[in-house]
Amino acid sequence: MKASKDMPAAWEGLGYHELNAMLNLYNADGEIQFDADKAAARQYFLQHVNNNTVFFHDLEEKLDYLVKNEYYERETLDQYTMNFIRDLYHHAYKKKFRFETFLGAFKFYTSYTLKTFDGNRFLERYEDRVCMVALHLARGNEELATKIVDEIIEGRFQPATPTFLNAGKAQRGELVSCFLLRIEDNMESIGRSINSALQLSKRGGGVAFALTNIREVGAPIKQIENQSSGVIPVMKLLEDSFSYANQLGARQGAGAVYLHAHHPDINRFLDTKRENADEKVRIKTLSLGVVIPDITFDLAKRDEDMYLFSPYDVEKVYGMPFSDISVTEKYYEMVDDARIKKTKIKAREFFQTLAEIQFESGYPYIMFEDTVNRANPIEGKIIMSNLCSEILQVSAPTSYNDDLSYAETGKDISCNLGSLNIAKAMDSPDFGSTIETAIRTLSAVSDMSNITSVPSIAKGNDQSHAIGLGQMNLHGYLARERVHYGSEEGLDFTNIYFYTVVYHCIRASNLLAIETGSSFAGFEKSTYASGEFFDKYTDGEWLPQTEKVAEMFEGVHIPTQDDWRELKASVMEHGIYNQNLQAVPPTGSISYINNSTSSIHPVASRIEIRKEGKLGRVYYPAPYLTNDNLEYYKDAYEIGHEKIIDTYAAATQHVDQGLSLTLFFKDTATTRDINRAQIYAWRKGIKTIYYIRLRQLALEGTEVENCVSCML
Amino acid sequence: MTPEKLKLASHVKAINWNRIEDEKDVEVWNRLCNNFWLPEKVPLSNDIQSWATLTPDEQLLTMRVFTGLTLLDTLQGTVGAVSLIPDAITPHEEAVYTNIAFMESVHAKSYSSIFSTLASTKEIDEAFRWSVENVNLQKKAQIIEGYYYGDDPLKRKIASTLLESFLFYSGFYLPMYWSSRAKLTNTADLIRLIIRDEAVHGYYIGYKYQKGLEGLSAERKAELKAWTFELMFELYENEVQYTHDLYDSVGLAEDVKKFLHYNANKALMNLGYEAMFPSAVTDVNPAILSALSPNADENHDFFSGSGSSYVIGKAVNTEDDDWDF
Repeated sequence: MKASKDMPAAWEGLGYHELNAMLNLYNADGEIQFDADKAAARQYFLQHVNNNTVFFHDLEEKLDYLVKNEYYERETLDQYTMNFIRDLYHHAYKKKFRFETFLGAFKFYTSYTLKTFDGNRFLERYEDRVCMVALHLARGNEELATKIVDEIIEGRFQPATPTFLNAGKAQRGELVSCFLLRIEDNMESIGRSINSALQLSKRGGGVAFALTNIREVGAPIKQIENQSSGVIPVMKLLEDSFSYANQLGARQGAGAVYLHAHHPDINRFLDTKRENADEKVRIKTLSLGVVIPDITFDLAKRDEDMYLFSPYDVEKVYGMPFSDISVTEKYYEMVDDARIKKTKIKAREFFQTLAEIQFESGYPYIMFEDTVNRANPIEGKIIMSNLCSEILQVSAPTSYNDDLSYAETGKDISCNLGSLNIAKAMDSPDFGSTIETAIRTLSAVSDMSNITSVPSIAKGNDQSHAIGLGQMNLHGYLARERVHYGSEEGLDFTNIYFYTVVYHCIRASNLLAIETGSSFAGFEKSTYASGEFFDKYTDGEWLPQTEKVAEMFEGVHIPTQDDWRELKASVMEHGIYNQNLQAVPPTGSISYINNSTSSIHPVASRIEIRKEGKLGRVYYPAPYLTNDNLEYYKDAYEIGHEKIIDTYAAATQHVDQGLSLTLFFKDTATTRDINRAQIYAWRKGIKTIYYIRLRQLALEGTEVENCVSCML
Repeated sequence: MTPEKLKLASHVKAINWNRIEDEKDVEVWNRLCNNFWLPEKVPLSNDIQSWATLTPDEQLLTMRVFTGLTLLDTLQGTVGAVSLIPDAITPHEEAVYTNIAFMESVHAKSYSSIFSTLASTKEIDEAFRWSVENVNLQKKAQIIEGYYYGDDPLKRKIASTLLESFLFYSGFYLPMYWSSRAKLTNTADLIRLIIRDEAVHGYYIGYKYQKGLEGLSAERKAELKAWTFELMFELYENEVQYTHDLYDSVGLAEDVKKFLHYNANKALMNLGYEAMFPSAVTDVNPAILSALSPNADENHDFFSGSGSSYVIGKAVNTEDDDWDF
């Protein structure tokens, strides 16, 4: 195979990994070598993909082979005529899709595409995957299948990894990304949780557990004091369960656990991530999250002690699990109640410990309990978040019989995700239709999911049809339009964009309710049904505040107050199909394939160094970055936490669930800086904080010469 | 070669960190403390599947590379860094060397963590036996060790810098190479933590060497420079042999040699000297060079590893102003 004509002679003979790595090294003129990455993508196809793709004469032969050999599900294809399928593939291939970066192509062919069972040869190209996803999710609806193909292949909508990876394959995991389960304070519930961890990891997706209700170290068992071992051994069991099960090796099992800040084991819980923690208590691969109510901030403000309450006693006194009590509301009542055993720590020291652990490990995530529940339109309480801290839904406890069968099946949470590429969505010929197709696609995943191995999850999904439409490429889009991230115009855009999105999400879900004649269970008790949810949109006028943003929205209709009044009336009459509609995930892998910046946060680096188990170390240029517009690509560490939080706050007010918000610090930061950022985020109405990331630069004199990521 | 009397720092005064003679001591001390880590933090067991995909030749090579590195880290931890203490100019410099010595022992131990995670006891023992029997590996340890026990403090620093900044890298090449091919990525994380440390060690000892040159006669300076290049050349010759011993079986020797040239220049730069190899022979494989950056800035996916970017933070109390809401 001859190398491409426009490749410099010096690159001849270099492999695609080497060409890709040149992105991280400046050329002699001090410029970033974008062409090297393009060449890497080209060479990857020439040297690897094309040679290793199984050849078929035509589509019929291919589909026939894939069905016969149990690669594809026959049922998926049987819903359509062969003529339609042929036209759809033709339509997809006509779009002339090309990967913009080496990482995009490499990631797709390493992790998503269908391979022969021995793992050696490719059976699908990108277009084939997209068509199968569309055919599978459209369930026989030709018009929808065509729309899904258009949205995905033109880059506007990208389903989350489990959906994009699995749809249409015969040997596969679930289409759903994410599971959240409660654990109650009894051995049956703990045992069932281990089982759920295994079952759900096997099917792919991350699993989070709420540990808040488990009694603390030294709590009585059968009234005998000093018996319980607390939450740490449960964490160990869960961690081992996750590492045992993975989704056919495609995805490593991953889990998170959430604990309330006022649980007596909170310091032990945090210490599991210490650098010098003993092996018996160290937690390596489980993610941690802490649930913090408003009262904790009030106590810290006054520099007071914070009391930690025994979940065992609280449940006895109130007759309901600790997690379902509002600690902010009942705090002083519980402090005064002699029946509840309590310990105390200094509130400010708690926050400092939190920051110390975040320095060492990036964990824990934080969920601001009262903020989340105030913004929740659904009846019930939100007690936890998930592995990426963007899912926020209500749950209900499950109880078990002695033989571990279900006495009362509660409601646990699952959520399937997909994200819009903001730049491409803004370029959409029909913004509303793009969102409607996305909502229909996500709802299809919910309809098609039935996780029978965990009945509380199946029940939750049946009742709620919860989905999470996310967003990505905010920074890429702003930079393309020459707007600085976090600037006045940047915030203005974020606000109006999410304002427009929420309108179309509810509109689409309302359409689904009208078509199916059904709403999610509990709709009548939500603030959608009462109309209260719409007040801020019908009472106030939402318009761009800057000329630039008004210009950016030319061609995209911004909903008016009248639009909202009309929608409100229709929702109050017909309901909405989905209990939850939006959640903004961190978008790792799919943003590389889709050529986006991750989520709505700033780039971590102009040339990002990406490391994953399946990929190794690979380099990724920020979308639309050239040597001429570098100034719009300040990285997250330079931009600083305030602008990031302001951007997220502008979006949060229009998102019913959460947004994964990572905070970035230079290594000169102290725990106090992290605490200040947390306080700022909480005051700004942020719902959750995801990772804390730190960047340490090489000591002057020890860096690699001409390295792009070393220089700022 | 062993001296008759144990040489220790001649007189010890209580160290006062509030009287700093050389700011570099504090800067490096802080950096090293922030960078403190233990091998237990890296989930090496995630590499077991990947290990199984290596051919027997590749596994053998990997084991041997790591035993070679273990030997160097042991030498540097138990003799090298400690031997620099009596020559220290400031008390804080002494403290930095004790820190270096300890971390070298952590490094030496972390290879054992890799071994016990990936290989059987028999394979481990065989790899260690190989390290004792390999002539070129033993020779490089002996050369350096000789100067550690010698009486010239500046030559000790030269030897130490060449070890930290040059000799390790024939071994470091391999895990970087694997990780660029998505193999043993957690092991590579651990090695990158070691590289992060060694980069600082080599830089610091080189810096102290240059401090030591200040005020010396032009003659003596010239002598030391000539000696440095001579030693570098001797080590280089040996290193080329060692590289062939290791990498011929997988056909990577030529590529590793370029990497040696690159790092030889880097080591000389740490000592304040010009490069020995022209840029034509230092064009290291970009995938390796990019992976080498001691910056802690990679955007890793938390589900497959812990990354090499977290540090121990500085705890500062919040003030009332911070809670003003």
